[in-house]
Amino acid sequence: MTRIVIVLLICIAGCMLAGLAHGDVALSYAEIATVLLQPSKAAPHVQMIIYDLRMPRLLLSILVGGALAVAGVVAQAIMRNPLAEPGILGINSGAALAIMIVIVGLDNVPAHLTPWAGFLGASVMAATIYGLSWRNGASSLRIILIGIGLSSMAGAMTTTLSTFGEIMDVQRALIWLAGSVYHADWASVRTLALWLVAPLALTIVSARMLDLIQLGDPVAKGLGQRVNLVRALMIVLCTLISGAAVAAAGLIGFIGLVAPHLARRLVGPMHRRLLPVSALIGALLVLCADIVGRTVMVPAQLPAGLVVALIGAPFFGFLLWRHRHVTA
Amino acid sequence: MTAKVPLKRPLAPLFLSGPDRLRLSALLVCLCLLPVAALWSVGIGTTRIPLPEVVQAVLAFDGSRDHLVIMTIRLPRVLAGLLAGAALAVSGAIMQAMTNNPLASPGLLGVNAGAAFAVVLTLTVFGAGAANLFIWSAFAGAGTASVLVYLAGSIGPAQDSPVKLVLAGAIMSAFLMSLTTAVLIFDQNTLDSVRLWTAGSLTGRTMGQVRTVAPYMLAGFVATAVFSRQFMTLSLGADVSRTLGQNPIVWRGLAALIVILLAGSAVALAGPIGFVGLVVPHIVRLSIGIDYKWILPFAAAGGALLVVLADTLSRLLFPGQSFPVGITMALIGAPFFVWLARGRTQETS
Repeated sequence: MTRIVIVLLICIAGCMLAGLAHGDVALSYAEIATVLLQPSKAAPHVQMIIYDLRMPRLLLSILVGGALAVAGVVAQAIMRNPLAEPGILGINSGAALAIMIVIVGLDNVPAHLTPWAGFLGASVMAATIYGLSWRNGASSLRIILIGIGLSSMAGAMTTTLSTFGEIMDVQRALIWLAGSVYHADWASVRTLALWLVAPLALTIVSARMLDLIQLGDPVAKGLGQRVNLVRALMIVLCTLISGAAVAAAGLIGFIGLVAPHLARRLVGPMHRRLLPVSALIGALLVLCADIVGRTVMVPAQLPAGLVVALIGAPFFGFLLWRHRHVTA
Repeated sequence: MTAKVPLKRPLAPLFLSGPDRLRLSALLVCLCLLPVAALWSVGIGTTRIPLPEVVQAVLAFDGSRDHLVIMTIRLPRVLAGLLAGAALAVSGAIMQAMTNNPLASPGLLGVNAGAAFAVVLTLTVFGAGAANLFIWSAFAGAGTASVLVYLAGSIGPAQDSPVKLVLAGAIMSAFLMSLTTAVLIFDQNTLDSVRLWTAGSLTGRTMGQVRTVAPYMLAGFVATAVFSRQFMTLSLGADVSRTLGQNPIVWRGLAALIVILLAGSAVALAGPIGFVGLVVPHIVRLSIGIDYKWILPFAAAGGALLVVLADTLSRLLFPGQSFPVGITMALIGAPFFVWLARGRTQETS
């Protein structure tokens, strides 16, 4: 466990260094060191590139990746389904519909309102799904089924807008939906970090509850857990965490699905270890993806959400292949 | 349900037990509704054509304008809807049986993502003029992607649980969809010409296209009917299925093959319509119970009926526009499904 965490932290630090160095303007490691260690001696434009452009973007990637991975762990535990990801609670479909309405359906909406619309759509959708699933308690299967139904409805409305909307607007919405950290600045980093502190801490504290509820409703009830209360609480936490991440960076769906599975292969199923390790893996994946996305075809940039799937999927395939003699 | 398990399958419906007889009559009603809905659907469009004229065009074609419209535009469209709806719903039911996962749909085997990627790639490389290539590239893409998913999901020693398969499918789909989006972000022309197709559309299907995919679908339907009892056993989970003398690995492979045949050709014909394959099996299961012997035929009838009705409705409400059938279907099907799921799902699960 400790060794894995240390290796992951070193990887993240290495990626951050690479992320500071590469980009439209290549900086040498000596320049970076000067800026970081002796700010008074550094050239102002280098300082600007590092502090105002690259640093917030790297930090935002880390926050978003970690948040989505933790939300994915929570979703898989409460739904007891290996395919579960935060999107199952309606977060992705709600956010996508809200964003489509704002970008394609309405005219002249200021750009800084888009993330809030995304967050609003995600929470309304999650609340609706949970509310409709409640009937003397909410079973996982009912949440999954109602989630499928409502998400497909929201998806149909999103598709309607994208089919008949102005092609320029549709393309803009598509880029947003693909998930990217293009617009990172210190304000968004600070907002997201403050927002995430409380829910993340609560999730870590309730790691044992997640261990329990994963065993199934009857067992968890038998061991004295108030299943419905815990599930509702976890859904709220999951929505807060992933809704904020989606609002900050668009739909990066892959992380919530894959980071928990990767972490489970590394440290096993106990949530005390699973949560921090998958957060680190998620952070590392989004970080790498953004760096690759903005360096591989300069000056064009690929959204991080796409690159995550493009590099994450072969990696996961490799893991499947390496562990092919281990039964899942 | 029945106390005594008969050694042979009952020869005639006369011997069926009470609930089974009810199901059979319900199925017969559905099957009778199908041709009625199809004929009604053929009559609806920019020009309304009365029902007797429709029947006459099919039976005694005389080359008049109305008859031409029916035989070259309306009928292929309705047939495509019937076939695609039935094929997607059946393959969705099989997917849910073989993976024991309520989130499974034919798209989980990579069918939709593979088809969409192949179509987008074809359009980008050959330009928008290559519309005839749609169907073949979609079929090839769907087939290749799902074979890859199946291989990736079944490497290593025999698996008792289909978790690996399901994960491999989800990840392959995410990978291909990202590639597709990456292409579309940089290529506005392709985005413009492909966005109607990705919503699932029956506009402009020809008799030739229907004839091209029909054999694959029919083979899939026949195989499904023959093996429906095996799918029932498979749906009970690997442990039970092995105890009952079934080799789950072999049957899961066969089920995947049938899904590729059915869903691959359906997606080639009508675009990646997600809703039928995922939701119709659930609707059927919530309505008539968990026996796949009944779920499969009901899913076929229900899927076909839903697609044709949704397509007719969109032509009725938005005449002259090609409103994608995938959208109408989700808009009318989803509320019903949510109501059903809310009322019928058991507490313990």
